[in-house]
Amino acid sequence: MALDFTFTEEQEFFRQTIRDTVNRMIMPRVKELDEKEEFPWDLWKEFASLGYLGLRHEEKYGGMGTDTITQMIFYEELARGSCGFFMAVTMQILMGTYFIGRFGNEEIKQRILVPAIKGEKIGTICFTEDQSGSDLGGTRTLATKVDGGWRITGRKQWITNGPIADFATVMATIDTKLGLKGLNFFLVERKSENRDGFVSGQRLHKLGSRCSVTGELVFDNVFVPDENFLGEEIGKGVQYAGEILNEVRVMTGMSALAIAKEAMEDARQYANNRIAFGNPISKYQLIREKFAKFWAWYEASRTFLYRCAWMIQNKIPCINECMLAKYHATEMCMYAVEEAMRIYGGNAFCTEYPVQRFWRDAKFLLYGGGTHEVLCDYLGRVFCKD
Amino acid sequence: MEIYVLVKQVPDPEAMVKVKTDSELEIENKYFTNFFDEVAIEAALRLKEKFGGKVTVLTVDNRRVDALRRGISMGADDALQFSDPALEGSDPFSIAKVLATYLKDKPFDLILAGRQAMDDDAGIVGPSVAELLGIPHVNSIIGLEIEDPKKGAKVTREVEGGKETLSCPLPALFTCQKGLYTPRIPQVMNVMKAMKAQIKKVDLSAIGLTTTDVGPHSAKIKLNRYFPPPKRPPVRIIKDDFPENVKVLVKLLREEAKVI
Amino acid sequence: MSNEIWVLAEHKDGKVKKITYELLSASAQFSKKTGGQVATILLGNNLQEAVKSLMTFADKIFLIEDPALTFYTSDAYLPSIASLINEHRPSILLGGATSTGKDLFPRLAMHLRTGYVPDCTDLSMGEDGRLTAIRPIYGGKVFAEISFSEDRPQMATVRNNTFIVDQELNKSAQVISVPFQTNHSLLKKKVLGMEKVGGEKLDISEADIVVAGGRGIKSAENFKILEELADVLNASVGTTRAVVDEGWRDQKDQIGKSGKNISAKLYMAFGISGAIHHVLGIGTCKTVVAVDTDPNALIFNYADYGIVGDLFQVVPALTEEFKKVLAEGA
Repeated sequence: MALDFTFTEEQEFFRQTIRDTVNRMIMPRVKELDEKEEFPWDLWKEFASLGYLGLRHEEKYGGMGTDTITQMIFYEELARGSCGFFMAVTMQILMGTYFIGRFGNEEIKQRILVPAIKGEKIGTICFTEDQSGSDLGGTRTLATKVDGGWRITGRKQWITNGPIADFATVMATIDTKLGLKGLNFFLVERKSENRDGFVSGQRLHKLGSRCSVTGELVFDNVFVPDENFLGEEIGKGVQYAGEILNEVRVMTGMSALAIAKEAMEDARQYANNRIAFGNPISKYQLIREKFAKFWAWYEASRTFLYRCAWMIQNKIPCINECMLAKYHATEMCMYAVEEAMRIYGGNAFCTEYPVQRFWRDAKFLLYGGGTHEVLCDYLGRVFCKD
Repeated sequence: MEIYVLVKQVPDPEAMVKVKTDSELEIENKYFTNFFDEVAIEAALRLKEKFGGKVTVLTVDNRRVDALRRGISMGADDALQFSDPALEGSDPFSIAKVLATYLKDKPFDLILAGRQAMDDDAGIVGPSVAELLGIPHVNSIIGLEIEDPKKGAKVTREVEGGKETLSCPLPALFTCQKGLYTPRIPQVMNVMKAMKAQIKKVDLSAIGLTTTDVGPHSAKIKLNRYFPPPKRPPVRIIKDDFPENVKVLVKLLREEAKVI
Repeated sequence: MSNEIWVLAEHKDGKVKKITYELLSASAQFSKKTGGQVATILLGNNLQEAVKSLMTFADKIFLIEDPALTFYTSDAYLPSIASLINEHRPSILLGGATSTGKDLFPRLAMHLRTGYVPDCTDLSMGEDGRLTAIRPIYGGKVFAEISFSEDRPQMATVRNNTFIVDQELNKSAQVISVPFQTNHSLLKKKVLGMEKVGGEKLDISEADIVVAGGRGIKSAENFKILEELADVLNASVGTTRAVVDEGWRDQKDQIGKSGKNISAKLYMAFGISGAIHHVLGIGTCKTVVAVDTDPNALIFNYADYGIVGDLFQVVPALTEEFKKVLAEGA
């Protein structure tokens, strides 16, 4: 029996627990979080106290050490709530602490990872710059080897949790001429009285996911000691980036599933209720087709994403699969939120109804983990065996 | 304190429940732990935090044990599932018999249950268990104070038009109503513990009951049929402008509906 | 075994509750089929007034008076009722689906080893004296028709406002005083006090008319306009889970799945969106009115009459209009 699509009873229980937690802790505040456009410290502390920030880290640092499928169940359920809060939490759980958990020495783990899992320190990861995003080879932030450590200079943009981050995993090149081969990761902390570090630049205001705070981080010849180099050897950064991006892409796909489903379930309730020409509009074929199409794409997407999760868990190479699944899930989600808007008719344009929030929130999916233009160019090239 | 909590997994209030045939329902696969039972678990855990002791959750269900896992994830120490093919088709009185038979030899200070299960909405099992055990019970409590378990409890229950406070010796059984406490959200460590927990099963023979003690033939009440709720005719929206619409509504309530 | 039908009478401050009259009226109808007598059991202290008001509704009144019965407790009520039943073996025992009925009946049924159906919204009786009960389950998403085994009495509790009170029964009851036999040392529970909440208003589960406000009311203070409307209609004020969770109203006023089911003659919802939790609690109300600004609010699916409009405009206007027409009618 090699092919098995069932979740275990334990996984179902875990899903139910997260669902219930989201329903009670986050759902009642979704609208407020979106409108305020501030990082919700009270919710963060309350949520962190439950312990989920250690989802994928070792138990000896306060983590849960769960497998990939369990993590993806968590992401899928968490994303039903506030999309902004989801971004802040997944940054902390996955991208912001990944390299520290994997390559940090014991002192760094005790000092950074343990409080990060408790939610007391906020972490982030820095890929994007003004001239490079999905094009990692264009990274210009420079790491120069000096006696006992490195000096890092550059500006990183679009940094989720950036304005409130205590520490960051920074992608920098040791030589811009090396392209992808020059990339490496470094741990940098925020500048303080007794430590050199990064400072915050401009904060961005976003269309959606508005309670996660996003902004620029500035690295002005920052010194970090040798142990802050995160990796086994110099030059392997691009390989590590590929590995973490598998998880990031499936995780992003999970949020696409959640947003799409929430939007369409909301639209279903509206369509069953909204009367036009004497009938609920869900009685009309053109409306029904939207639901059918969504449903087909959604189920395909979900199956594909969990297959990718299973491949990651079983250490089967799956870079292309994860890209494809993220691409598919995101496009499915774009369809869902767009059609949900249309089902709502003119009411979609009013902020009184939640459907516009799904539409706004969903847009971030197009950029996180690589723009679709870059992804598709790459995937097309692979397919054509170019 | 030694506390037992009676729990049940029930369809989520949002779940679709429809009549399939006279004797069969179609229930959407969305279940959760009965909300009032979670309130009871919360009450038990608070007493344990105050006095020490042990909280055990019990369910009589051949299939679903999620309510037991929920109990453990909230902080209960132990969980037991009563399951036996002969239990199929049992009425609430038989369920009570199973629970009381197990509990009668156990030392305990308190049994807590939800006000009612959000499926059959009956509220029979709790008071019936108390009757079989010969201990006092109070239904639908919204307040619970225990200073010294040996001296009994002070409980408040909702009555029409007021709140009644009673003193009650322990051991006793209380059923819990919303408003007593807000159930806690489980900590991840307990969630992991609950996921890994091996749920202990108890069948009828283990507690000395036989198949004739339970099941449809010993039921005191019998289902004749299910039927869908009566449907209201479509709403009549009063489209006149304000304040004419208010006048029209009052007229309709007096002359058409005849309720004023 | 007799073919008598018994009703447990409920009273508050000496006044018999409406549900008792409803059940006695229904029992009078049932008894025509079997020819049995209708009896009521009345427990309490200083019950002269209650006895008087029940005289024309029953053939027999079993009266048990004792200071220990001033407040209901199952300890005090159950042994007396059980021994009466064991002596007279009635065919049916009915009570209200009230705080007392729901506390006492399941335990009493277990004690007597007989069947009990809670919270019924209808009862009917066959020529053979067999009772059939209708009750909502799954919060009212489905109804069940239930019958009883051969054990007697057949026990049921019934929701308020299920039957019409027949003022013309014109019976003349025989009052049978029964001594309160319970050993006082067996009374374990003691009522320490009663805190009245909501003034003289009936509980929402008992009221003929309930007016309710949801989140759309926006604050605890704004419930004042509903209180004023309720005063004019002699109604009680109900609310939704969201409002109770906000702390604007007491838990006892919550209608719906984790609150109370109501069976009012008239239910009026203001600023209530119609979440499933809430509407499950109003399924057996006779006439439902909804007022909300959102024409697509789900509540309109469960209403008989609707106004799309601002409740802050509509409620005061309704209060004035009702005042006017009720004054004319009087």
